[in-house]
Amino acid sequence: MDKKATELRELKTSKLLLKLSSIPGPSGYEDDVISEISQIMKPYSDECFRTPMGSLVCVKKGTGPKIGFFAHADQIAFVVTKIYEDGFMRLSGVGGWDPKTVISQKVWVHTKNGKLRGVVGFMPPHLQTTEESKKVPDYDHLFVDVTMNPNWKDISIGDLVTLDVEGFGKNGTIFAPALDNRASCVAIIKAAELLSKIKTDAEVYYVFSTQEEIGGPGARSGAYISEIEYGIVIDVTHGDEDVPGYPKIKMGEGPAVAVGPVTNRRFVEHINKISGKYNIKVQIEPIAGRSGTDTDEVQLTRIGVKTALISIPLKYMHNPYEKIVIKDVEDTAKLLAFSTAHLPEMEIEECEQNPDSAGEGE
Amino acid sequence: MLKYLKELTEFSGPSGNEDNVREFIKSIISGKVDEIFVDRMGNLIALKKGKGNGKKILLDAHMDEVGFIVTNINDDGTLSFAPVGGVDTRVIIGKKVRVGKDIIGIIGYKAIHLQRDGYMNTPKYSELKIDIGAKSKAEAEKQVKIGDYVSFITPYEEQGEYIIAKALDDRCGCSILMDLIEENIETENDIYFAFTVQEETGLRGPAIIAEQLKADIAIAVETTTSGDDPELEKQLWSTHLGDGPAITFMHSGYVVHQTIFEKLIETARQLNIPFQYKMRTVGGTNARRYALTGIPAGVVSVPARYIHSPVSVINKKDYEYTIALLKGFLRRTDF
Repeated sequence: MDKKATELRELKTSKLLLKLSSIPGPSGYEDDVISEISQIMKPYSDECFRTPMGSLVCVKKGTGPKIGFFAHADQIAFVVTKIYEDGFMRLSGVGGWDPKTVISQKVWVHTKNGKLRGVVGFMPPHLQTTEESKKVPDYDHLFVDVTMNPNWKDISIGDLVTLDVEGFGKNGTIFAPALDNRASCVAIIKAAELLSKIKTDAEVYYVFSTQEEIGGPGARSGAYISEIEYGIVIDVTHGDEDVPGYPKIKMGEGPAVAVGPVTNRRFVEHINKISGKYNIKVQIEPIAGRSGTDTDEVQLTRIGVKTALISIPLKYMHNPYEKIVIKDVEDTAKLLAFSTAHLPEMEIEECEQNPDSAGEGE
Repeated sequence: MLKYLKELTEFSGPSGNEDNVREFIKSIISGKVDEIFVDRMGNLIALKKGKGNGKKILLDAHMDEVGFIVTNINDDGTLSFAPVGGVDTRVIIGKKVRVGKDIIGIIGYKAIHLQRDGYMNTPKYSELKIDIGAKSKAEAEKQVKIGDYVSFITPYEEQGEYIIAKALDDRCGCSILMDLIEENIETENDIYFAFTVQEETGLRGPAIIAEQLKADIAIAVETTTSGDDPELEKQLWSTHLGDGPAITFMHSGYVVHQTIFEKLIETARQLNIPFQYKMRTVGGTNARRYALTGIPAGVVSVPARYIHSPVSVINKKDYEYTIALLKGFLRRTDF
């Protein structure tokens, strides 16, 4: 094991969260964050490789059931769409930003010759018309000032732009960019750490996928290559928000386990049983149709995958500073590890209760 | 030159809470001036005596910046707040802030996925909260109290010819006054350097200065809006970065004293210092307050982009030319 890996192994959950959220990894440009994760995962994996679509797959070999954990490693960002002669430019979102949160931010423009400073500008309020002052500017009116870089002409259309914000921890919570979905990446890393200490026959595929924020192909290709029977997608869900007609998912009350057609009922029951057995708090999140997460794709891979979706409560999703409770990430890791360790029992129960399982669904 | 601007901008100092800024300036300029005192409102006033046959010229730069104040601690541990000075809600969401002395929080906003119709409307202050990571009111109350001041956290940065920082309005003016003190200008005139409080809440600090010292002329050294961005057509710009100090002929509630305006222009022309006219008349400065209290006043400003936001931008050349213009003006004897 190399030195770096040893150091990282000692990293606490909070340090890992801040570390991984500080590395830019916009959809389609996840290399930096994925190579960092790959370093961290080495000691817990028998093998690590990248799929043709760029996803990282780390494998813990086993003779038992095959299971995959999926977390997308990409984050929302921006792309340069227009450059003006005098050193200003316009952007478009890679993924769904709220324009309200973007104004007056410092940004980095990632050019082929390195990163350059930008400032998302704002028309002086008292020079705005009354009509203009009532609205938040959309991408047609948001602009970035890059005049301060003597070499701003290095910027070309299509360059990626990320916000320059620095995460911090406080009172058991983390405020940082891109916790959607680096928090889930950390949950998988911590689960892998646990599984390296627990005896289990399961063969585990840890998949850190690409291009989720734009509905891209990352997770699906990861699932295809690993030929798994079970798949748990880890993502984030809105914490501490009132959504009419739905239970409020609370921050700090444990991961939310999804129920609904994109998940396998029996597998979800198994996970909930494990949460009871190990005293891990979980919440329930009903999802009536597609989930909008990688689960939707993973379920339909090859001959089908028995899926579950476990979500970490997160507040201020797609804001420059997203917020999570560290314990929720650790509980998610435990739930993943123990649910996997007990998979063989679930399979035995399944056979006993339902010898003709092929009839299911008719 | 520019030795103190970084520290100046990084202090928290919304109107009414200028103490850190004042203490810093005082510690630097003490010993470099002939007299120094702090008045009842908190204005810091320093005098550099001239050779005796001139006028009394007062240079004003305000120490305060726009910010917020905590108005309530909510049951869920978040903080409600109100602006101190003019801050548009559209520039504050998703920013890190400092509450009180050293409590860090963020201004968060409900996820875009959960917003419905009207999500592109300018939000109201009542919709916004500061999150300091407290899980309950009781937890929050251990760290903050109602009335705590809140300010942005933006590290000072220089890139090429530009400076990127918060609070350049008007720490930039404070920095210019400090640099002028250090330049130790030889002049016939007595120069008062007034580092004033509470400009952003209605030009309040300088209101009590005329009663304390009888200046003949006041100049507000300011940082002013540019608007030179792609959202405004060129004819609507107020100033343009890089074209030199902006000289104001009129702004909200005050037509600049004609002689002062003309002598500022004349000084720039004689010394070949690039300058520009401030082309919009919106906004106000302490010059109005000096005029209201009987001291004829002028305005010289460093043009800035995005003032009253967490991140503003100025050009170093404009800063240098502003100092050159003021030096020339202070040496005049023909008032």
